[in-house]
Amino acid sequence: MTVDAPVAADTARPPRRNSRRGEPWLDWMTLPALVILAVVIAYPIIRTVLTSFYDYPLFNPEHSFIGVRNYHRLASDTVFWQALRNTVVYTAASVLGAMLIGLTLALVTERLRGPWRVLRGALLTPWAVPVIVVGFLFRFMFDEQGGVVDAVLLRTHTTGTAVPWLTGGYWPMISVVIANIWSQAPFFLMVFTAALGAIPPEVVEAARIDRAGGWTLIRRIKLPYLRDAALVGTLLMVIQNFNNFPLIWTMTGGGPAYGTTTLVVYVYRLAFTSYDLGYSSTVGAVWLVLLLAVAVVFVRVLRRRSA
Amino acid sequence: MTVEERPTKHRGGRRAWFTRVCVVVTVALFAVWTLWPLYWMAATSLKSPLEATRLDPTLWPHSFTFANFRALFTGTVPFGTYLFNSMFTALVSALVAVVVSTLCGYGFSRGGYRLTGVTSIAVLATQMLPLVVLIGPLYLLLLKAHLLNTYLGLIIGYTSFSVPFGAWMMKGFFDAMPREIEEAARVDGNGRLGVLFRVVVPLSVPGLVTTAVFVFMNTWNNLLYPLTLASTDSRQTLPAGLMQSFSGTFKTDWGGMMAAALITSLPLVIAFFAVQRFMVRGMTAGAFAGT
Repeated sequence: MTVDAPVAADTARPPRRNSRRGEPWLDWMTLPALVILAVVIAYPIIRTVLTSFYDYPLFNPEHSFIGVRNYHRLASDTVFWQALRNTVVYTAASVLGAMLIGLTLALVTERLRGPWRVLRGALLTPWAVPVIVVGFLFRFMFDEQGGVVDAVLLRTHTTGTAVPWLTGGYWPMISVVIANIWSQAPFFLMVFTAALGAIPPEVVEAARIDRAGGWTLIRRIKLPYLRDAALVGTLLMVIQNFNNFPLIWTMTGGGPAYGTTTLVVYVYRLAFTSYDLGYSSTVGAVWLVLLLAVAVVFVRVLRRRSA
Repeated sequence: MTVEERPTKHRGGRRAWFTRVCVVVTVALFAVWTLWPLYWMAATSLKSPLEATRLDPTLWPHSFTFANFRALFTGTVPFGTYLFNSMFTALVSALVAVVVSTLCGYGFSRGGYRLTGVTSIAVLATQMLPLVVLIGPLYLLLLKAHLLNTYLGLIIGYTSFSVPFGAWMMKGFFDAMPREIEEAARVDGNGRLGVLFRVVVPLSVPGLVTTAVFVFMNTWNNLLYPLTLASTDSRQTLPAGLMQSFSGTFKTDWGGMMAAALITSLPLVIAFFAVQRFMVRGMTAGAFAGT
């Protein structure tokens, strides 16, 4: 019989000393996954970084080493900076909007009782709708010719002329963000609902006895409890939106011009519509470094929470 | 222990009434915001082509018809093929991911080599990668291996997000499982693998199912890989297939597009409500890969 640390002591986390007791097979079990990741993740990343130093047309076997010339090109590439700005705007607006809506809904639906709880389930549905469907759907609704949004605006005389949702000025970015908020607000609704459920009932009860009104209760008691959930949720969604491809690609294709081209879309366009894999890899490599910074923050926060 | 009077009883009157009105109005407003697009998708899919493309749209289908759905399976867009390809690749991916990540997750959770911490954090970090950075080299790799336009190629591509996600998620499930159960089974004379397959796996069925459903959903959602790794109709999945058909020939067939969108959504909506209870945990293990 093996004797472990006292059972009572290992409630916090499982002891990790198995291989010392002669069970290396446990470690070998991770091998298939690690091999797969080496092929489909590690290799492509290394290859991307290497390719970024080459002139590398996608369908041409001829490619030549050109040193850091791609990186010089990037520094003076206005589209790159525009794409970076678009990425930040798209991500910040989407996450902020989705979080506020999710928070409001979580606080409000918490008060629903009985059969009305079904409504909360219904409010979650957009999260399950495939992203490309969201893209198609909003492209249809925002269409200038026969799109329902403009039709309603015109019929109610809110605007005199049709709003160019997908074609003019800043509107395409706004439309994409609206669609994205629609699709992601349920995520925050779920996260905040779970966090609200984890508030000890005694705390709320005590505050109620002290005659804290609804608003004070929310601001002083509930919101502080939601801070962790908000942090993790925000980080996850920031990373996801940084990397979001299908919504923008189905709604606007990154256009008009480069108006809604985020970095991900730019990398894709460079590689698969301009067939310039070398420069695409350069943009990708720089993007990876920027993401790494965000990922480090993310892991730090997660660790601090679990510690 | 004294039973406190429920405080809501104190606060009758105007203020409570005002709060209630606020709640109802907010809920109603957001219900419209959430449900309107879904309604519009369903309504449009049931309109005749003529009605669906009217410049002055009708609020409900006057010409109630299932023609759009019928056309999907009889028309020129090989919707049935797309549907099968999506279903097939998503199911196989889910299966592969569950097997590989059960092994990996268990190893991470119970194993003890020094690097476990670093490796598992690295696996977590790979979930934050933009798939678009991987796609160029993956494309060239599969090109060389003659795996472009094959199911196998697509499934290999999908492992780049399903395996890290699954491994991390399963590690979480195993971490939460008390080890005493395994110790007890060992004492009862089970071999090591016997413990894993006869005791641990049956106990982690909820985790396995959740992981499988998540991978299924992510795969179903993925546009980037089929768009690049499968260019022929016979191997195209729904997202890329629809994208291509509706940005070309069928640009203005809104009714057909909404019918296709509705069918594309159904499996995910069903899967979602099946695992809704585990949703939050799954999402904090790694958000949906947005690509």
